[in-house]
Amino acid sequence: MITIALAKGRMQDGALALLGRAGIRVSADEINSRRLAITDETGGYRFLFVKPADVPVYVEHGIADCGMVGRDVLLESEADLLLPLDLGIARCRIVVAAADPEVMTRAVGMLRVATKYSQIAASHFGSRGMPVEIIKLSGSVELAPALGLADLIVDLVQTGRTLRENGLTVVDEITESTGRLVVNRASYQLKAQAVGQLVNALKSALDGGEPLKGSEVA
Amino acid sequence: MRYYIGAEARLRRRIEDTAMSVFEGWSYEEVITPSVDYYDLFEQGMGKTEAQRAFRFTDNDGRLLALRPDVTSSVARIAATLLVDRPRPLRFCYASPVFKQQPQFQAEWRRENTQLGCELIGRNGVNADLEVLRLVAEILSRLDLQSTYCITINHVEIFNGIAEQLDLDTPAREQLRRLIDTRETVELQRFLRAYSAHDGRAFSRLAQLTGKRDVLDAAREVIHNDRSLVALNALEDVWSRIELCGLHNDFEIDLGDVPNLDYYTGLTLKVYLHGAGGSVGRGGRYDGLTGNFGRAEPAVGFVLNLDALTEVVGRRMSQQS
Repeated sequence: MITIALAKGRMQDGALALLGRAGIRVSADEINSRRLAITDETGGYRFLFVKPADVPVYVEHGIADCGMVGRDVLLESEADLLLPLDLGIARCRIVVAAADPEVMTRAVGMLRVATKYSQIAASHFGSRGMPVEIIKLSGSVELAPALGLADLIVDLVQTGRTLRENGLTVVDEITESTGRLVVNRASYQLKAQAVGQLVNALKSALDGGEPLKGSEVA
Repeated sequence: MRYYIGAEARLRRRIEDTAMSVFEGWSYEEVITPSVDYYDLFEQGMGKTEAQRAFRFTDNDGRLLALRPDVTSSVARIAATLLVDRPRPLRFCYASPVFKQQPQFQAEWRRENTQLGCELIGRNGVNADLEVLRLVAEILSRLDLQSTYCITINHVEIFNGIAEQLDLDTPAREQLRRLIDTRETVELQRFLRAYSAHDGRAFSRLAQLTGKRDVLDAAREVIHNDRSLVALNALEDVWSRIELCGLHNDFEIDLGDVPNLDYYTGLTLKVYLHGAGGSVGRGGRYDGLTGNFGRAEPAVGFVLNLDALTEVVGRRMSQQS
């Protein structure tokens, strides 16, 4: 049996639908039971539902053999994991947004950046040689410019509606993010057959479904 | 930073003694290297990137020192200097703490680890490679870890041959290495597309090739440069000998294992153990290393992580009782 850590929230439904297409089904009763660990109908897979940021942690420590989580979370965590598949689900962009698009060029002194993604933001501005002060928030980042906490934000954008409603425009795109399959390094060797089966099942589900568009990474 | 008390300390000592007695049985002499040495030594021995993870501080006269981040550098230096006249091969083993700064987010966060390791210096070829592989297997089976471990082997020249054929500059080579290492097959295909339409698909299979002898055949179908083929043949020699020793159930060939230490020149190995999240040991051939200290000669060795072994063995014992 192999254990899969699933990111709760934004990605969960897409991940379960994809698993279903790969022939790995979890009954709705089980999901609604609010138990932390549930098994699929065949008993071959155990699922842990954890917060997205904890998926890389469970997988890196080998508590879970595999995980499904967004690339945004992986970039932020710097965990040492294998990334054999792009699942193409929960597609979104990580962008820099501002209330005043001119702020990047007009600003003297240091810009303040509010974000949940302090690592991604630091390396983005660092690679451009822009000195910024990074203010780490854990939610509702789009409020920060309106309230005067920050000049810029770095955040995920799916449709762009939240940004528009808060009077923000995208000034730069950092990268794109999709759901990924991550695998523990030891499990990849020690449970090679079971992990290989999962990877192949997901791969054929992806190939059989809508064509997977390559996510162009900057 | 970790304390061992009572039964745990005894277990840890027993594992260390077991490994050292296996080394002794193969005529390896114990070596104890200084805990503090000049930083330059480790930069010469490990390469800049790895050595920079050492804890560094200065002497009264401003010279840069480091807490030993590995033992191999020191052993390579004495082999090339103090022991230059000793008959070859040299066989050394050690049980020794090493100190490294760790990225905060990684599971392997400990700053201090005790390495059980050995170096076989002055002997080339499949016999020497096989000797260290058999040593790893013997230590693990003496610890009753039979059939719960897996040793993966590879040859760095397979990757180097490909990188050379694609004529990659250093950043591109590192990117290719990282994509193979993390098995990002989709990104890998996209990366290779820029270089050569035909080879792209073939090389991207490299990351997925792990298994027994069949891996070598599959690799031959897609790899055509001479440098990689020589390495494939060398790897096949090692594999045939592993089969002859009846150890093939404990070993796997993993062409996707491309370690970031730039000093490996031939065989590489990693040790995986049920119950440990990452690898518990690694090693390989580094024929270029002693040359950094003035006398180039072949060398091969490995280290096992005593703290990780103690944790896994301890957990297994408490589950059984």
